[in-house]
Amino acid sequence: MGAWLAKPIPIAAHNRTKDFQMRNLAKLQAGSIHPGSWWILGFSLAVAAGMTKAIWVAVLICLLAVGLSALLRTDAPWARSLSFYVWLAVAILVIRIAFRVVFNSSSSENLAFALPELNLSLGFGPPIQLFGAVSWNTLQAATMDGLRLAAIVLSIALANTLANPRKLLKSTPAALYEVATAISVAINLAPQLIESLQRVRKARRLRGKSPRIGALAGTVIPVLEDTLERSLSLAASMDARGFGRRGSLGNGASASIRVVSLVALVLFAAGSYLLLTNPSLTVTALVLLSLAVVAVIFVVSISSSKNVRTRYKKQKQTFADYSLWILSALVVAVSLWATGGLR
Amino acid sequence: MIQLKDVGFSYDGYEDAVIKRANLEIATGEFVLVCGPTGSGKSTLLKIINGLAPHFTGGTLSGRLLLNGEDHTGGLPHNLASLVGYVNQQPEGSFVADTVEDEIAFSMEQLGFNANEMTQRVKRFAELVGIEDLLASDLANLSGGQQQRVAIASALAAGQKLLVLDEPTSALDPSAAADIIRLLKRIAKHENVSILLAEHRLERVLKHVDSVIIVHGDGSVSKSLPQDAFREYRLVPPIVELSLKLGWNPVSLDPSLSSDKTIRSDQWVAKLSADISSAEILLETTDLQVKYGQNEALKPVNVKLHAGEVLAVMGENGSGKSSLIWAIHGLGKRSGGAVSSPWGDPLSLSDEERLGTITLVPQKASDLLFLNTLAEELQESDTVAEVEATSTASLFAQFAGRVDPRKHPRDLSAGQQLALVLAAQLVKGARVVLLDEPTRGLDYEAKRALARIIQKLKAEGKGVVLASHDIEFVALLSTRVVVLEDGRIIEEGSPQEVFANGRMLASQTSLALSTAGLISVDQVRPA
Repeated sequence: MGAWLAKPIPIAAHNRTKDFQMRNLAKLQAGSIHPGSWWILGFSLAVAAGMTKAIWVAVLICLLAVGLSALLRTDAPWARSLSFYVWLAVAILVIRIAFRVVFNSSSSENLAFALPELNLSLGFGPPIQLFGAVSWNTLQAATMDGLRLAAIVLSIALANTLANPRKLLKSTPAALYEVATAISVAINLAPQLIESLQRVRKARRLRGKSPRIGALAGTVIPVLEDTLERSLSLAASMDARGFGRRGSLGNGASASIRVVSLVALVLFAAGSYLLLTNPSLTVTALVLLSLAVVAVIFVVSISSSKNVRTRYKKQKQTFADYSLWILSALVVAVSLWATGGLR
Repeated sequence: MIQLKDVGFSYDGYEDAVIKRANLEIATGEFVLVCGPTGSGKSTLLKIINGLAPHFTGGTLSGRLLLNGEDHTGGLPHNLASLVGYVNQQPEGSFVADTVEDEIAFSMEQLGFNANEMTQRVKRFAELVGIEDLLASDLANLSGGQQQRVAIASALAAGQKLLVLDEPTSALDPSAAADIIRLLKRIAKHENVSILLAEHRLERVLKHVDSVIIVHGDGSVSKSLPQDAFREYRLVPPIVELSLKLGWNPVSLDPSLSSDKTIRSDQWVAKLSADISSAEILLETTDLQVKYGQNEALKPVNVKLHAGEVLAVMGENGSGKSSLIWAIHGLGKRSGGAVSSPWGDPLSLSDEERLGTITLVPQKASDLLFLNTLAEELQESDTVAEVEATSTASLFAQFAGRVDPRKHPRDLSAGQQLALVLAAQLVKGARVVLLDEPTRGLDYEAKRALARIIQKLKAEGKGVVLASHDIEFVALLSTRVVVLEDGRIIEEGSPQEVFANGRMLASQTSLALSTAGLISVDQVRPA
């Protein structure tokens, strides 16, 4: 048995360490920054994209978001979906343009290309006109719309790819601890689910083709069994490690938490409605929204007060975080200024 | 430290109690092995101590549980967490965090330690288990042994003086498993932690523990010294079986300490391996290769399998055992080379044709079971294989004896599930069967049953390829052994050569007796 131990480090293991170091390097770049900062940047870019009227700005935001994500991402499960977001963005752009070409209000001014016009009569109302002459203006507007949406999607993709959700969850207030843990457990289970799906599908073929059992039953049942087993054993182990301990809140405190949460929700809804619909009542809207924020802080602090848990190594903000915040603020300010929001 | 007084436990809906009136006492710093046949209630006994039974498993607990002299009967697991640390079979399945240090700190966070103390303790316990260099690493990038170390550190970091482990080495290869057992022994001694360890592979732990608790399966539980534990007991590790056969007193627990013992030539029989070189060749690989991306799981490998042969493939986790047998079978990945068989290259066979020629039983046999009763599974197998009705049933009966056909396949024991899958894989008359780690999770009795099945297949002239870590099992059965390391064959030969004393895979029998050609207990004639 001793000889198993004394063996030299195998070549495969060397490769693994190298891999591992490279991955760690990438992680250092994205991981040393607070995940919250990535979300702030992501939202700021999304806001800027939503407000812009210039195609080049939207293109720039798309490139920036994809470039940053591709450069700094790790191979963590949440970071693997970048290509999905890129395809989604491309699909949005294409669909948006196609839509405008199909449902086109024909105009020969500034003509780009002409398609045969198609008039559909539905038996009621005016006939629907499809295709027809497509003007450059139409194309430009469609492209702008599509790019704007794509840029918003990619900005969120940036935050999603670079921010480690587990670390973000660590910064959530204690009152949300249970939710946060549930999410982080789900993140852990996802790759295992894929692994057991692959294993079971291969195993199924070992028994040959079954005339009676569809691929679904033969795959779903073992995978489900696997997943249930894993979740239960995880839950047991978390419980055995003290998860779920809490100081008890009095009845009064619980009741007031419920009432204040409801009030906060109503204030939020009313505030955002006013802000978006009635420009003359902006001040009122802002007052309502700030009241809602106060209510939320109250709820969170009450329900956190009886907390027995502590946190190991909360992530501290660094210079890089402050730079990202300034960058985000600049992005929003410039786009507000450019669209005349501040004039 | 721990006292169980008249403890009983029964699951709802079952008449018989799993544990009846158990009285046990475990001292501070005592290292205790808990063993018993599969399904005997080992896990239940462990779970009673940290409250997972009945709070997580359901069922009814009676009697009293005292920890440190205080009554904790009926305590909830999360309230007992400050006293009892718990580690289960699959470390990666119980991780909550993504880095080593966060994982070790998890329990302390729940118990409200302050940040400074947590930092110190994370460091101290990482050093204790030997992973201090890995604190910032991603848990997913660690080896199985390292992951289990992390699990042990996190179970102890909050100052728990009682550690309960449910088969922590079952997914590890022999060297990693031996390291973990040695680590536990050190923790018990130097940290004064009482340790309860459930384990199937008794040969791994017996020489290290202070005492043994046997859960007999009929509800009774007994505790005794390791050398006395097995006199009256069916499930014994090879070294104890050897001692009993040769009438050694006291029973030997550590084969390397009994090298002065000798054996007369009339007390054992040589293993006669029939000359198979003239037998039909059922499989031959030429430069078979498997690559996953950059990782060469299997470098060009050449092996041959004759009819009536049991070819064992051994090696650590990740050495390429599974890759080899799946690549031979044809369903697994193959990146280069060829396999020849009387039926052509298995890669070109359809799934149905393979079922009649070259079949495989995967590591998790239950992946192949998805119907609601044993009877349906047997019938399904007949239909798919296009054989006469009840063919699979009679094959299964040969392997596993009589089993209630109304039983749900998932309620069968691990050994019965294996027998069922094996029957389904052989019913169409396959002449080659590939077994991927079949002994994982089997107790000694189930292993003996499996050994009988494999002997039978061998006698019928079938070819068996057996990927396994299990030195004792392979020593008992194999006709030839190849040892893989990093996807390359590093050793090849007869079991008498590979398992001989002084070789890296020496079996317990050859360690204890160092007699050339004597490698397995079944060769010894009872005194």
